[in-house]
Amino acid sequence: MKFVTNCNIVEILNLSDKQLLDLSKRKVLSLSLTEMKTVQEYFKKLKRNPTDVEMETIAQTWSEHCKHKTLTGIIEYIQIKNGKKTKKTYNNLLKETIFKATVELNKKWCLSVFKDNAGIIDFDLKNGVAFKVETHNHPSALEPYGGSATGIGGVVRDILGVGLGAKPLANTDVFCFGDPTTKPSKVPKGVHHPKRIIKGVVSGVRDYGNRMGIPTVNGSVYFDHDYMANPLVFCGTMGVIPKNKIEKKVSPGDLILVVGGRTGRDGIHGATFSSVQLDQSSDVSAVQIGNPIVEKKVLDAMLSARDLNLYRAVTDCGAGGLSSAIGELGEKIGAVVCLDKVPLKYDGLYPWEIWISEAQERMVFAVEPKNKKKIIEIFKKENVEAVFIGQFTKDKKLVLKYDKNTVANIDMPFLHDGIPKPTRKAECKIKEEKLQKTVKLTSSELLMVLKKSLADLNVCSKEWIIRQYDHEVLGQTIIKPLQGNNIEISGPGDGAVIFPYAVIKGTKKGIVLSNGLNPSYGKINTYKMAASAIEEALRNAVCVGGNIEKLAILDNFCWGNPNKPEILGSLVCSANACYEMSKAFSVPFISGKDSLHNEYSIGDKKFSISPVLLISAVGVIEDVANTITMPFKNSGNKVYILGVTRNELGGSVISKIKNIKDAIVPNVYPKESVPIMKGIYKAIGKGLIESCHDASEGGLAVAVSEMSFSSGYGVNINIDHIKTADTMSAAEILFSESNGRFIVEVEPKNESRFKEIFKGLSVSEVGCVSDNKFVIFESQKEKVKFKEKLINLLNAWKHTINW
Amino acid sequence: MFSIEIFTKSGFKDSRGGHVLADIVSLGFNCINKVGYCNLYLIDGKLLLNEAKLIASCLLSDKITESYNIAKCDGKDSNCSFNNNVVASKTMIEVLYKKGVTDTVSSSVIKAVKDLGINKDIKVKTGHRYYLSGKFSKTVLDNIACKLLANTLIQEYKIKSVK
Amino acid sequence: MKKVKVLILRTAGTNCDFETQNAFELCGASVERLHINFLVNNKNKILDYDILAFPGGFSYGDDIASGKILANEIKNKFGSQVEKFALSGRPIIGICNGFQVLVKMGLLPESELFEQVSTLSYNDSNKFECRWVYLKTEQKSNCIWTKNLASVISLPVAHGEGKFIPKDKELLSKLNKDNQVVFRYSTKDGKEPEYPLCPNGSAENIAGICNKKGNIFGLMPHPERYIFPLQHPCRESSGSEYGWGKIIFQNAVNAVK
Repeated sequence: MKFVTNCNIVEILNLSDKQLLDLSKRKVLSLSLTEMKTVQEYFKKLKRNPTDVEMETIAQTWSEHCKHKTLTGIIEYIQIKNGKKTKKTYNNLLKETIFKATVELNKKWCLSVFKDNAGIIDFDLKNGVAFKVETHNHPSALEPYGGSATGIGGVVRDILGVGLGAKPLANTDVFCFGDPTTKPSKVPKGVHHPKRIIKGVVSGVRDYGNRMGIPTVNGSVYFDHDYMANPLVFCGTMGVIPKNKIEKKVSPGDLILVVGGRTGRDGIHGATFSSVQLDQSSDVSAVQIGNPIVEKKVLDAMLSARDLNLYRAVTDCGAGGLSSAIGELGEKIGAVVCLDKVPLKYDGLYPWEIWISEAQERMVFAVEPKNKKKIIEIFKKENVEAVFIGQFTKDKKLVLKYDKNTVANIDMPFLHDGIPKPTRKAECKIKEEKLQKTVKLTSSELLMVLKKSLADLNVCSKEWIIRQYDHEVLGQTIIKPLQGNNIEISGPGDGAVIFPYAVIKGTKKGIVLSNGLNPSYGKINTYKMAASAIEEALRNAVCVGGNIEKLAILDNFCWGNPNKPEILGSLVCSANACYEMSKAFSVPFISGKDSLHNEYSIGDKKFSISPVLLISAVGVIEDVANTITMPFKNSGNKVYILGVTRNELGGSVISKIKNIKDAIVPNVYPKESVPIMKGIYKAIGKGLIESCHDASEGGLAVAVSEMSFSSGYGVNINIDHIKTADTMSAAEILFSESNGRFIVEVEPKNESRFKEIFKGLSVSEVGCVSDNKFVIFESQKEKVKFKEKLINLLNAWKHTINW
Repeated sequence: MFSIEIFTKSGFKDSRGGHVLADIVSLGFNCINKVGYCNLYLIDGKLLLNEAKLIASCLLSDKITESYNIAKCDGKDSNCSFNNNVVASKTMIEVLYKKGVTDTVSSSVIKAVKDLGINKDIKVKTGHRYYLSGKFSKTVLDNIACKLLANTLIQEYKIKSVK
Repeated sequence: MKKVKVLILRTAGTNCDFETQNAFELCGASVERLHINFLVNNKNKILDYDILAFPGGFSYGDDIASGKILANEIKNKFGSQVEKFALSGRPIIGICNGFQVLVKMGLLPESELFEQVSTLSYNDSNKFECRWVYLKTEQKSNCIWTKNLASVISLPVAHGEGKFIPKDKELLSKLNKDNQVVFRYSTKDGKEPEYPLCPNGSAENIAGICNKKGNIFGLMPHPERYIFPLQHPCRESSGSEYGWGKIIFQNAVNAVK
């Protein structure tokens, strides 16, 4: 092999262990000693040293971000509960929990799971629905605007790069931030103030999503000090794809076409960076800046090329850039790429930089030679740059050239399967939870807790964020994120429904999107956090008319350092919850992503995030006419609660307000919830339910208030009629965050048919919608009664975030 | 190279400036009483002055609400054009992207200049200028710049005194 | 009966073209969405159509200012054809970004002058606003697009630069005198609104205007997003099986039939 001067040989053959580790660190390769030694062995066999291009290619292909080596590696797990130890070894945690549930459930309507850039479920005879949720945490901490914008840009490209390309229809976003009221002096040096991060992240999602013309329709925001230095940014995109465009095929001889943005030094080491802890000296070039209009042009042009069958495979350039994209497409066959042909933003890039750059808005296509001219013309018409840079081969080798010289030559099998499986230890001590001392509050205290709950950062209105997103572009958002009985007032919707009438002509069907997130439970018990997040996502979808038998879910794990057994242990525990709940609800996982190493150090102080599992749900609704919103619809209607209230204040909003230490974290009871969820779907379909809202953060009192102030109607609730599992005080009943509960509004004329559906299930009539403008809660047993004007409750909810 | 500064004409609302001021106050600095915001375009190429004027008047500024200030400057520094019309101010913070950071607006400007019929190779850098009035120290200005106006990871700022 | 031909002009960043197409098709028109590159090379092509639509979106990212780059591009490359189309009395609509383009090109409000005399500037709130608003329809307006509407209707807005500003008071009173104001933001009962019902701080709460002749119509709200009741937040209808937006498109299609 002859090498050019701008490609360097990396001396590795004769290095000691320590020298290998030093090299890994110095070059930001993020490879462990075992991995470095595996590389050394490989090149010893080849009797030569690797080039820098080869080292970088291996490092990024083996990165946490691309290979998910922790969750697919070997984990020796110990669980300690009530002093009892149980041990288990996982050879591949994902395959043995989340993926296993999907395989066992074996739903015929799951069209593509865990293998492509997004999961795909069945929509109708001709189309499928693709959904993917990604995280973009570290870049958002450093450059909130650019970080979140490229987060949304990246997940949109996942949808463009699934199968032969889906058309994006909606975005979702979920954030975890520090407390925006933090005093500037309390913010650690080198960290942006939470408010600046929030404003930057929201603007980034806004500007990218709005410019792409994709409505941002669903989301959630969680605030906690834990996320001050390490905010979490989850971005999701849903799209539709014709069923005959789901399979990619790459054959030897197909040409490699790179399309879209030019390549610069952007985001070098972004993939390996995702497994490095953040510190103040974080690499500048890890930050990428996106250009939504370039991506919009790619979208417009590539979908017309898709419909003309001008290419056989496509994938996006995400983490790892061209290296990942071409590596994936050519994994089973081989590829040769001329790096000097890649269009550059500016001169002076080394071959390895071109190869692993994470410059945005680029897609890679596999094109049959006969379509060479036609496809270039399509892109040219829309001013999109498209250049052929190589060809797929059949020798199972990855060959990279620069100025006719070979700068890399590695075997594909080694690159993709040569990574040694790490073994990690994990330990999870399940904390014992005790019931708190009875919480008895006077009428005025109850009202105070209600108002404080509504104003709590994690309950309050997110209107300031939501209205900056164009959540109605495409005109298909028929259940919107903010809902009111007239256009002047709004309350928080549960799920969003997209009616894709403009894309799938003549359809009556809709697509529901929702999410569940409960990090405060995870501080105490990550099993219950995961189970609660799953149920919350399902409840939110069911509230608007979703059918639990047609829902699928996605997981996004954001955890701390997995090298610490207790942190990895809490993750294993929650992966187990995912398996059990997926089975119990009969709801399959179709895609997922993990972001580990969410730690930040300043000086010798270490900040570590509380674990977060985001569950996102997607489902198909048979008839969009059978969807409903959450505000009450008319006075005189009856209010029912479905589900049982338990004494579960652990991690709740009231526990924070009243400083309650001991308490039980809400558990999930699928055997109770599933029939209720099925019943609601049936009842909505028959027109028996006027409005429906789930009880989550802040419990029943908050949920009922939201239904009331967003409607303009008052409500009277008799606390004594609320079905509880144990003896509970009024405060506990109203503010417990038990899962499995829905508040529904029923017209008197429909009551008997409604009750018929829920026969034998936990259903109780608790009050009625009124014409006066008051929310009233009363318990004769406990002799408490409180009453508040709607406008005051609405204002309490509205004014926390209003910048 | 020409530096072109776009500012809001008097009589029209400078809403960006107003909101930056509100953000400064919420950071705890009460010593600033007014902020005037300007877009800044640095255009490099063999342009004639009247071409630069055409670009400023027909493309970069709004005919109704905005006006421009144009100056020829030599070399790297944009330290040449100032505008006293924005606010009665003696201090200005200028924010530009660092070298190598993608500037997406710049490619749009280059396209639009061609549309105007000016077929010359140009390079464009975009930035922001904030004219501040009030009584403040350099430390306060650095704080405002770092905590609000510029992310020093990708942008650089300069504090300039207005002559 | 002849099929009404609609041209929807699109470019990099256009993003409301599909739903606009759908709205026109529902009204019985045949629609083509054409990229500006095609029109630059086929300048007289637009004269083949009956209706011209500038849809919403972020043309060229709204870099520099919303609609500015596209307005300049059209004017410089096939402005005379657009002018000819406009003066022939055929209907033209500019929605949101399209309205910004029409205003910055100068086709509104004084189409004969074809010079920019007003603008759409940054919202007073300094942020993008996506919400439904009430619109008071000016009954005296001779805009061909807005016949048969109730005195107050509702439509969604979604923009960051929607504050209508005429160059001077004379122009504003002229617009009023000549009945060129078509929509004003209002309360539910047609009264003067406050923020957020007036989402941007427009002069006299103006949301949409037309030229003197009434064939060219520009508005910030999105009629193409309210074609049927399901799209309304409270699922209200216009009294028919459709939303108010559909009636706006139908008016134009009927006018050229």
